[in-house]
Amino acid sequence: MIVIHCFVQPIARAAAFAMLLALALCLPPGVAPAFAADTINAYSIWPENWARPMFEEFEKATGIKVNFVRFSSGEALARVMAEKNNPQVDVLFGGPVETFAAGISEGVFEPYKPPSFAKLPARFRHPDGQWIAIADDPLVFMSNDKFLKEHNLKAPASWNDLLAPAYKNMLQMADARTSGTAVTRIFSVLEVNGRDENKAFDYMKKLRPNVQLYTKSGGGGTLPVGLGQAGAGIFFIVDALDTKAKGYEVTISFPKEGIGTAAEGIALIKGAKNPALGKKLIDWASSPAMQGQFAKYKINFVPAHPDVALDPVLAGVLKDAKLFPIDADYAGANRKRIVERWVAEVLNP
Amino acid sequence: MGTNRSAITRPSTSSGRTGSARGISPAAIAARIRRDPAVASAVLSLWLLLALFVIYPLAMLLARVLVDQGTFTTAGLAAVVTDRHQMRAFWNSLLLGSLVGIVGTFLGFLFAFTAARGRLPRWLLTAIDTAVLLPLVSPPFTTAIAMIFSFGPRGLITYELLGIKGYTVYGLDSTLFSEAVTYFPIAYLTLRPILAAIDSNIEGMALSLGASRWRVFRTVTLPLTIPGLANAFLLLFAASLADFATPLILAGNSFPVLPTQAFLQITGLFDLRGGAALSFVLLVPALIVFLLQRYWVSRRYYVTVTGKGAGQTPFVSVSPGARNALLLACALITLVIVYFYALLLYASVVVALGANHAFTLQHYRVIFTDGLKAIRDTLIIAGIAMPLGGLYGILLGYLVAKKSFVGRRSMELVSMINYALPGTIVGIAYLIAFNDRPFVLTGTALIIVACYIFRYGPTGIRATVALLQQIDRSLEEASQGLGAGSGTTFRRITLPLVLPAFFAGLGVVFIRSMTAISATIFLVSISWTLITVKILENITELSLGPAAAFSVLVVAIVFVVIAIIGRLLKLFRAPGAVAMTSVFGG
Repeated sequence: MIVIHCFVQPIARAAAFAMLLALALCLPPGVAPAFAADTINAYSIWPENWARPMFEEFEKATGIKVNFVRFSSGEALARVMAEKNNPQVDVLFGGPVETFAAGISEGVFEPYKPPSFAKLPARFRHPDGQWIAIADDPLVFMSNDKFLKEHNLKAPASWNDLLAPAYKNMLQMADARTSGTAVTRIFSVLEVNGRDENKAFDYMKKLRPNVQLYTKSGGGGTLPVGLGQAGAGIFFIVDALDTKAKGYEVTISFPKEGIGTAAEGIALIKGAKNPALGKKLIDWASSPAMQGQFAKYKINFVPAHPDVALDPVLAGVLKDAKLFPIDADYAGANRKRIVERWVAEVLNP
Repeated sequence: MGTNRSAITRPSTSSGRTGSARGISPAAIAARIRRDPAVASAVLSLWLLLALFVIYPLAMLLARVLVDQGTFTTAGLAAVVTDRHQMRAFWNSLLLGSLVGIVGTFLGFLFAFTAARGRLPRWLLTAIDTAVLLPLVSPPFTTAIAMIFSFGPRGLITYELLGIKGYTVYGLDSTLFSEAVTYFPIAYLTLRPILAAIDSNIEGMALSLGASRWRVFRTVTLPLTIPGLANAFLLLFAASLADFATPLILAGNSFPVLPTQAFLQITGLFDLRGGAALSFVLLVPALIVFLLQRYWVSRRYYVTVTGKGAGQTPFVSVSPGARNALLLACALITLVIVYFYALLLYASVVVALGANHAFTLQHYRVIFTDGLKAIRDTLIIAGIAMPLGGLYGILLGYLVAKKSFVGRRSMELVSMINYALPGTIVGIAYLIAFNDRPFVLTGTALIIVACYIFRYGPTGIRATVALLQQIDRSLEEASQGLGAGSGTTFRRITLPLVLPAFFAGLGVVFIRSMTAISATIFLVSISWTLITVKILENITELSLGPAAAFSVLVVAIVFVVIAIIGRLLKLFRAPGAVAMTSVFGG
């Protein structure tokens, strides 16, 4: 026993000091890797495989490196809000603008009007420059070809087609708690029902038994539909075309009642540590400089800037689609309430 | 010489262990601090660290739930308790935990009994041990992904093999199955040493008195294992209660559980307060299980290492038929595990599992380019947390086991809190506590390192305490009586007994740093991210190839580290079985 004291005691003392010292060294945020002066931080709502090539092009064009993490829109906004007093990023990049609209009331954005501001249609810009659109992204129905054939179905051409018993337990779509895709979908249902909330919720409740899974992210159901784990789902066109491009046999269709299209935004964070560089990213992203590269990387967003021509393949898909924009102000003002109602009445009836 | 000086300058160990903290006057404390400044400063530093990284975050969590604009209120809590859906998630969590506890304990006992009584050849034991370890050292989603690929509506087994259409993989069944397979090794590692420690002479005597083998099993073996079974059940219950990853992937929408709900509440609905309230509700069963385990079960059995070994009579406790049946059952379950991991490995080297099975190394290229930062960050954080966690473990364990100071028992209890609570609670508490003044740590590596040290270091503490208590005084006395000097005695007897605890603590901190997600999902930032978070991201984005490749990488790294630790333990001629159990049992 006593022997231990003589030997372990100095070790213990040294250990205590070593620990304190190490923790003290860690304390200042200086442990974070030191970045070169020309680096900005961003939360990207676009998935990595689209955000990364864009940011690499930006670095090529300006020499500014974008250090980024990807989050679903709900998560990204939650983080920006949580970090309000201690912002970790300079720019919030991508994601439906109604997500941005929800952040305005929280005062997390710094208004900024880039050079493209004047050229953009009104629905692609916040009047004060709280956010600005970099792309437009319509929702679509996407179905698995084999599933349609097995059940002798045509690709759904109406919202009511999805209520058919053949789809029982075979639809996948996103969870409104985390995904902007889901919120856009719900507001689409509201629009086709003339913003009659009870009617819209009746429809969603009727659809519920056909939904196999509400996924955490907007594109979460695309692969299951591609693989046939699910029969069909509602996704952004960019995710749907990506699935098709990967070689999965799926069909894209649009409801005759119309479906929503959501502008994708970018915004400067209030209190950003590199506001000047952040503005440069916004200038670039809202201009043809970035949006002209979508086609090159097979990113099937509809460019927001009027000077960028629509990719012919994408134009072909959208030819007969009836699309309507989601009103960002209406959506932003009602988002929280509608999502909560969705959770209570549709998700957990 | 050493003996005399020691007796004068510090309280003797025997009184230190039995002497209570109560009834010591402040003057006596002051005198003790003067006499023993090293212990006093170590105790003080540890209390400061515990206050900052255990008590403060928890207090801030409680404050967030119970205080609104300066006034005490239970409204936030009431909103959760009266919410039908949230309460359903609560009961679901308890149901899932109980079922995982029962199924996992059964499987663990099956394996432990076969290993201890089945007279298996050495290679078979090693094979079983390795397969059983896999789930314990893997990132959290591995079995869940394999489940979806095997049992989904187009699963390899349900659709391709059995031709079942429209089978729903999401729900209680698959979550239970996946968690049971993932966590039953905890039961195995808890029960095996207990079964091995049962003196086979007792069983042999019962047998020779005419009892049948079944009767011996029922009336001798089983009763002796009951405390171990209860312990295993509680450990599994706690593990399931804390698991957020498996339900996130597999529970679907019809079977919500609390940790997942709390995560979505915070990340999705920006509702820190609601998430905090949900995690507070989760706190209740977690604490009950912790206290039960600590004050009831763990008192019922004690395995000690002494110098005196009893002679064991070799005896055959299972009939050949039963042995074959046991072996077959174990082999089947092992096969399931091996299949899951083979599938994972396969998924990491084909273009897209289920669609395009052409061979590719593209996913590994992706994780070593785009994912390199996550790998680097994880290794740096694990590398910093590992030695600190190991030191923290033996330091606190040594002080608690061998020193007397005020608040010794409460220090041990406090040190166990972050370990006992589900990771979701700890993560949310850290997020709330360290996002604002006076301790702004969000975005730093420290917040993740501290989380790991104080959450997984306690395994080292427990191992140290257990080992120090097990050192029978006679061992050291015998060594000295035989003429060894105190230096030799320490080197040959004491050090080997404490070192396993150091390596156990260190190993657990490293393994968990590589594989944990439930707490740290809330703590990653733009500057510091983790492989596990990246895996979750890949899964939600359905890049399953990179997710599988990341998982394979983690398993490989962890296995290499375990092998090194195992080597080190052998080097010090340590009772490896004890140490390795505590490495993975936690």
